[in-house]
Amino acid sequence: MTSIDAVSTAIQDQEITFPASLRKRKIQQRIAFGLIWLGGLAAVAMLVWIVGYVMSQGLPVIDLEFLTTRPAGGVSGEGGMSTTIVTTLYLVALTVAIATPLGVGSAIYLVEYAGESQLESPLVRRIVRIARSGVEILAGVPSIIFGLFGFALFVSALKLKFSLLSAGLSGACMILPVIIRTTEEALLAVPRSYREASLGLGATKWQTIVNVIIPAALPGIVTGIVLSVGRIVAETAIFWVTLGGSYRLPRNLLSAGRSMALHVYSLASETRAFDKAMGTAAILIITIVVLNLTINILSRRLTARSQGR
Amino acid sequence: MGLDEKIRQATTRAGGSRPIFLVIAAATLVILAVVLFGLGVLNRIPLEEFADGSVQTWLSIGIVDSLLIVMAWGIWNRKDWARITFVMLLVIALMFIFVQEIFTLFSTIFAGESILSLGEIANSLVASLIHLVTRGAIPALSLFGLMKTGSEFDVSAGQREFVDNMVRYLLFGIAMSAIIIVFMIIFFTMEEAWESVEEIGLDNMLLGTIWRPGSIIGEVGQYGLLPMIAGSILSTFGAVLLGVPLSIGTAILLAEVAPHSVREVVRPAIELLAGIPSVVYGLFGMVVLAPLIREIDVPGNNGFGLLNASIVLAVMIIPTVTNIAEDAIRAVPKSYKEGSLAMGTTHWQTIWNVTLPAARSGLIAAVILGIGRALGETMAMIMVIGNSIAFPEPLTSNPLTLFLDTARTLTGNVAVEINYAAGAHRSALFFTGLLLFLMIMLVNSLARYLMRERKA
Repeated sequence: MTSIDAVSTAIQDQEITFPASLRKRKIQQRIAFGLIWLGGLAAVAMLVWIVGYVMSQGLPVIDLEFLTTRPAGGVSGEGGMSTTIVTTLYLVALTVAIATPLGVGSAIYLVEYAGESQLESPLVRRIVRIARSGVEILAGVPSIIFGLFGFALFVSALKLKFSLLSAGLSGACMILPVIIRTTEEALLAVPRSYREASLGLGATKWQTIVNVIIPAALPGIVTGIVLSVGRIVAETAIFWVTLGGSYRLPRNLLSAGRSMALHVYSLASETRAFDKAMGTAAILIITIVVLNLTINILSRRLTARSQGR
Repeated sequence: MGLDEKIRQATTRAGGSRPIFLVIAAATLVILAVVLFGLGVLNRIPLEEFADGSVQTWLSIGIVDSLLIVMAWGIWNRKDWARITFVMLLVIALMFIFVQEIFTLFSTIFAGESILSLGEIANSLVASLIHLVTRGAIPALSLFGLMKTGSEFDVSAGQREFVDNMVRYLLFGIAMSAIIIVFMIIFFTMEEAWESVEEIGLDNMLLGTIWRPGSIIGEVGQYGLLPMIAGSILSTFGAVLLGVPLSIGTAILLAEVAPHSVREVVRPAIELLAGIPSVVYGLFGMVVLAPLIREIDVPGNNGFGLLNASIVLAVMIIPTVTNIAEDAIRAVPKSYKEGSLAMGTTHWQTIWNVTLPAARSGLIAAVILGIGRALGETMAMIMVIGNSIAFPEPLTSNPLTLFLDTARTLTGNVAVEINYAAGAHRSALFFTGLLLFLMIMLVNSLARYLMRERKA
């Protein structure tokens, strides 16, 4: 049987199907792309709906008095949100102060030291691999688990009670992987030639890191910190089980408090003051938007720096 | 000359000029610092006796003390060891004074019903500044002076190598912090959960369908977690059903279809969606979605429940899934697409038959990570799912009304009850957390495995 015969029998037996006409395929494409555009639009529409609704309900509530009076506490839902703003600031400062040295230090070791494997023993290399997977695992741990952990260790075992310090330590555990990852990326983006030039001038590794690599990677590191500030501002579950929820202003590191996000939850679930909750939520969203803009500006500067020069 | 040799030289030179008793003294100091810290933290010394600020002093000085002494020991025999020690002490003292002043200032401004008037704020600000200056002047000036004299100290090559080496070990220790935290999380959750495993039994918790912590004295609590497991799985399933098509569509749009200008708008929008606090989603679900869902005319439908939870979760997983899926689609080699297009296929045919199959493992990883995110979500879930402890069941004969029933997730179970639980109840909640942790570890490692496979 010739090959032509084979093909014609195959066609008759419908073993070979011819591609649909170009027109049909174009229509198919148009439908598919239409659906894809619809999906993208739906995602954006969801965002616009949520943000728009919260803003439209929340912004009218916000005035100077709302920002400067303390929540009344209890189930009344009266009062403003002044102490929650300050508590959130405390928490952000505390978590960043705890997590940044650990996170940046970890990233420096993982990028700058762990790579030179010829100097390290197999044991060290294995430990480093475990440490890396530790960062990955930590990044996937849900926040309520950090809350439970903080509750068991800091609140109960270390007897720090429900306090800023317990919450700050638990929150620091959550943002640690964020800072490690972004710092790692920033360090990896520093050109090799910088290191070589510095080492070539006779600087030690540590001098090179402090004087050359960290300044070059600074926008990336700051991006990581801003990112984790956003995480802390938005976080509720951890602080729900470690911060205590008192509407009063914490007087020291060992007193309880209430962050803005926690305030939204308390208002929405314990009182019926949905308008105040919306107002606080609007402030939260504004904070997040500002932080996101900062990150965008920083990363733009970072790419500009790595492309320029 | 190898680095090891240099270090050995540096250390032997150090050892030669250093009397042994100094080393012993340093070691004693380290032990002392650790013991003091341990005592302070473990509450052997009743902390309540130290009024307000003193506990902070104990903790911060305890932690920094041990670090400090390790440093001091390392630089012991160097000319500037004392200077470095003093600089660090002064920095700590200044930080401490500053933090205390901040607390005092903010307390005076914000403690009342409303904040003080502008004039009073200015007043207390000035008062704080004066306070800060008077208390901090001496440390700050001596710090300044020490920094100034620093340049006059000789920094030899051996000294630099020594510091370099110490820093290496210090950083190695710091790099372990993440894995140490992971182990501590596992340890503490397990330790707390152990009581419930012993008293209630693994099978009772995993297979029991009734959750009734014995709040009344004398009554034996029942701790069946099956309703919460079902709640978690059902709400996650609903979220995946609603959110994944949307996310993958958006990912294709961003990676393949949309022009640059659209991408510039949509990507920040998705990022913002990721940053919005979960309580805001919860609030939205309570205030907007619940009344909408209540419109569905089914007896017993109150707007809160699995459907509401699924919608909220679906929106919350969109950023995660979209980002990873987009990366996966972008990672497909250009030659695949070019090869396919050269065969005369349309753009869509290429996407459907070549790009998506090539990115398959990455897409699956994206969905799995989304599942992990959904399983771990807490606050939004408490707010919209209704938190009923009963097993979710269809409200009418139509099985779809299952999604209108209220439920409770594993995360919600922990968050709702942990603050007042005690004894076996509390331990059972830790077991809930442990179960959740293991589920999410499993899900995440599956996703990681798939992503690694893609890279390989």
